[in-house]
Amino acid sequence: MREITLSQAVNEAIAEEMRRDETVFLMGEDVAEAGTPFKVLSGLVEEFGTQRVIDTPIAEPGFVGLAVGAAMTGARPIVDLMFGDFLYLVMDQLCNQAAKQHYMSGGKLTVPMVLRTNLGATRRSAAQHSQSLQALVAHIPGLKVAMPSSAYEAKGLMKTAIRDNNPVVIFEDKLMYQDKAPVPEEEFLIPFGEANVKREGSDITFIATSSMVQVAEKAAEMLAADGISAEVIDPRTIVPLDEATLIESVKKTSRAIVIDEGHQSYGVTSEIASRLNEKAFYHLDAPVLRMGAMDVPVPFSPALEDITVPTPEGVAENARKLCAGDMIHAA
Amino acid sequence: MQRDVTMPQLGMAQDAGKIVSWLKAPGDAVAKGDALFEVETDKATMEVEAQAAGFLTGVSASEGEDVPVGAVIARISDSAEDDTPAQTAAAPAAEAPADDLPDGHSVTMPQLGMAQDTGLLVGWLKSPGDAVAATDVLFEVETDKSTMEVEAGRDGYLAATLAQAGEEVPVGGPVAVISEAAPANPVARSVAKAAAAPAAEPVPTRPQPTPEPSRTAQPAAPQPAGGRILASPKARRLALEQGLDLARLAKAGYPQPYHVRDLDTLRSLPAAASAAEVGTASRRLVAEVPEDGLPGFTAWAAGVHGLSDADAILAALAACSMPVPGPVSVERQGQTKTYALPAGRGLSDAMETDDAPALILRDLRGSRLTSVEMGGEATPALTLTPKGDGLTLTLECAPSEMDATDAIQLLSDFAGRVEQPLRHLL
Amino acid sequence: MAKAKTNTEDYLAMYRQMVRIRTFEDNANQLYLSAKMPGLTHMYSGEEAVAVGICEALTDSDRITSTHRGHGHCVAKGAAFKEMFCELLGKQEGYCRGKGGSMHIADQSHGNLGANAIVGGSMGIATGSALRSKLQGADDVTVCFFGDGATAQGLLYEVMNMAALWNLPVIYACENNGYSEYTKTEEIAAGSITARAEAFGIEAFKVDGQDVLAVNELTQKLVARCRKGEGPFFLELETYRYHGHHVGDINREYYRSKDEEKDWKENRDPIVRFRGYLVEQGIATEEEIEAMNAEIDKDATEAVAYAEAAKYPDVSEVDMHVYAD
Repeated sequence: MREITLSQAVNEAIAEEMRRDETVFLMGEDVAEAGTPFKVLSGLVEEFGTQRVIDTPIAEPGFVGLAVGAAMTGARPIVDLMFGDFLYLVMDQLCNQAAKQHYMSGGKLTVPMVLRTNLGATRRSAAQHSQSLQALVAHIPGLKVAMPSSAYEAKGLMKTAIRDNNPVVIFEDKLMYQDKAPVPEEEFLIPFGEANVKREGSDITFIATSSMVQVAEKAAEMLAADGISAEVIDPRTIVPLDEATLIESVKKTSRAIVIDEGHQSYGVTSEIASRLNEKAFYHLDAPVLRMGAMDVPVPFSPALEDITVPTPEGVAENARKLCAGDMIHAA
Repeated sequence: MQRDVTMPQLGMAQDAGKIVSWLKAPGDAVAKGDALFEVETDKATMEVEAQAAGFLTGVSASEGEDVPVGAVIARISDSAEDDTPAQTAAAPAAEAPADDLPDGHSVTMPQLGMAQDTGLLVGWLKSPGDAVAATDVLFEVETDKSTMEVEAGRDGYLAATLAQAGEEVPVGGPVAVISEAAPANPVARSVAKAAAAPAAEPVPTRPQPTPEPSRTAQPAAPQPAGGRILASPKARRLALEQGLDLARLAKAGYPQPYHVRDLDTLRSLPAAASAAEVGTASRRLVAEVPEDGLPGFTAWAAGVHGLSDADAILAALAACSMPVPGPVSVERQGQTKTYALPAGRGLSDAMETDDAPALILRDLRGSRLTSVEMGGEATPALTLTPKGDGLTLTLECAPSEMDATDAIQLLSDFAGRVEQPLRHLL
Repeated sequence: MAKAKTNTEDYLAMYRQMVRIRTFEDNANQLYLSAKMPGLTHMYSGEEAVAVGICEALTDSDRITSTHRGHGHCVAKGAAFKEMFCELLGKQEGYCRGKGGSMHIADQSHGNLGANAIVGGSMGIATGSALRSKLQGADDVTVCFFGDGATAQGLLYEVMNMAALWNLPVIYACENNGYSEYTKTEEIAAGSITARAEAFGIEAFKVDGQDVLAVNELTQKLVARCRKGEGPFFLELETYRYHGHHVGDINREYYRSKDEEKDWKENRDPIVRFRGYLVEQGIATEEEIEAMNAEIDKDATEAVAYAEAAKYPDVSEVDMHVYAD
């Protein structure tokens, strides 16, 4: 099978959907000629023109608001938010307006829009351009949240997002754009709410999102040498979340670590760990661990930045402790 | 069509308005939007407009009067002659108090704020029969933000209270009656027992403050005997399912917390001693007699006294040695017989009995066994084993069955009797 | 005259709509005062000519976005009393199945994209609707209603900028009623309101919001120009709300004098004014107008009674419509 980069995968997905449905259009900062600073959208304005690939001023609340209005009246916008950190700017339009219109209107109005943005630290972009804010939007009823972990997921999830009639926030890891993965040439969609078991194991389950999937896979390799068999699961969408697959895995292994690049406290890891606690309690032979980014603003200095995120070594060490039955919590 | 004219809601937390003046007289024609009367609120004077066209009839509140919010004070009717007094089919506040309540003016639960349709009466600051001034605080109501004081609104006497502290009263519902004269029989009621006060729509009232239904008790955590044990949920569940006792791991000294793999260890621990107590803590006393006096004695007893049952004699001798004589079983060569020696009777009176023995004699004379260590059993046991010309007597029992002194006494006495039975008869 | 004849229907329709709004608000206010309405609502009484003058120049496929003071826009854009009262009381037969309430009332079939509880929250939506119209080559126009207070929101400038850049068919209608909640407009809005739009190169107009004909005439012109791609436009309509900011704002002399209220009610009421004009022009007689008023009154009373008796949504609806299928 051919291998393409995550960037190419996103580009293909959007182009295919724009060809398929003429109500789909793109808007955001520098999306047209520049193809965004990450160059992911290069070539689209040449094919679809400036009416469907629209450069906006630097007015995030404004153009997200416009996207909501366009979506409510029959178009299907894909809005590009250059950095996930800018989610704070658009919260009213996204969470008070987009997320709630369908409910507040008793089901009459829909908002079929996609907000495409990114996450991920260790790029030396410092505190305001390195955040992973998926927990913020996952908390809001009415939004769906997708987190592709490779080029394959990026294409399949983006296509599903565009065809979904709800507001979908899709996070790509900005450090993964050049990472390649096998991606079929034929059309395929990845449904929301379906987790993917990336690696089977029997001693411990790693539930990981986005680029943490690769961290978990590396940790699993390291542990295999120690005779510990780790199962790695990618939820792919955190809203809706495929609980059943996660619980089934924990029933098998009776141990779990949840890994996400959002902050450790009050985040995605906390939510998933909680659900495992509630629904797989009597199958747990060890406490469910959360591994997120440290609860600090992302530091600039490389010496500091790199220790704030989960690493394969860190995951493996925790896994060894859990499997050995070490007392991790207070007595 | 007739429409009620009610005292309107005047502002948040205002329960009554004083009618400053009527701008129309009974019988006057009024147009929709005409000002009917002026109300004094705590901030200003407000004009209240007619909501319909017609004739002003049934005026039941006069200038200077304080009227509770929601109370009907007049009607707008199709003709000037229709003077039926205001009915309160819809307005919950009745001007005429219910049947057997004292005469007076009704005080109603005021409008309390956004989206609050009942008020929780926190407490009364006046009692039935008290004199009240218009600005006296009558009762306190809990709103969703704070506790609010409600004034009497008129001078007079608190003739009746119609709700108790802790009860919910609908906004506009009657809470008290203030009479002009001191009431002969002041009344205190609760909402539950309110007389037929017509309510427009069924309002949720709770006659007694209902405590929150208690949540189901915490499911009892599986507690092995002997205090809290730390173990994973899975280990606990499996232990429970397989009938394993995690406490034994603790007793055996394995460090907590326990995980599933520790159950393997648990399974391989030595089996516990039999259920009925004991274990290693039983008593064992041994005596030796150089000469077995029993055969000679039993022969004599048979010959002289006709006592042919040697076991009975043996049992009787043992019984006499016990601190408290009781039935004694004699086991020999697979046979057991139990004898009881009635109190104060002689050896010859030992009789067979079905009673459970208080002492078991195991007669192993003539066998090849020289020494026994059986461990304490349910009943104290005395074993006789041959030793040369004499015998070894071994007494074993659980500590709880016989204390040390008694055990020593028993064995010593019995040993003496075995050696020289005749002497002990005397 | 033939011209007068066709105008007659339009004029009567305008008068009728204004009375319908006033009647609706009076009834809604009563529902609040008699403690029958959950929550609060915001009265449009006094501003009728603004909503009606503008909406009578629009068709059902034109869109509007509304504000927290949205009953007037809702009625003016063709909504029915029954479903509106049901929505205010949270009943299942309301426009939003009781899930939106007064502040989120929406009537999609007539192009009302909804009231919005966030001040300025609809501006993005309105502009986006116009963007969609242009992108899809449609000729519908979107009107964005907002108050003078909303000119303090940054979103207004972001969307006007984009609307002007891309010539979007949107009309920004600023209902300047002199007060931003409990504060006078001049204390919260610096400079000129129309100049704000002009700074983006958007043509801006000031009009007497109490004159329904003036409002309507101007709107018709601007709507026609929008359809030709000449938009966006900005309107500042001078008007007045008779009631307080919301229905519970009753003792309000501390920020607004009774004399001022009286003046607007007696001398500048849009309904009284237009009624006078209709009678004077021979378009309707007093009796015909009285009959119309009575009919609307009856309509409202029946709708209120219906809504009061109507059932609430079943509890199973609480988690319906979080997501669309």
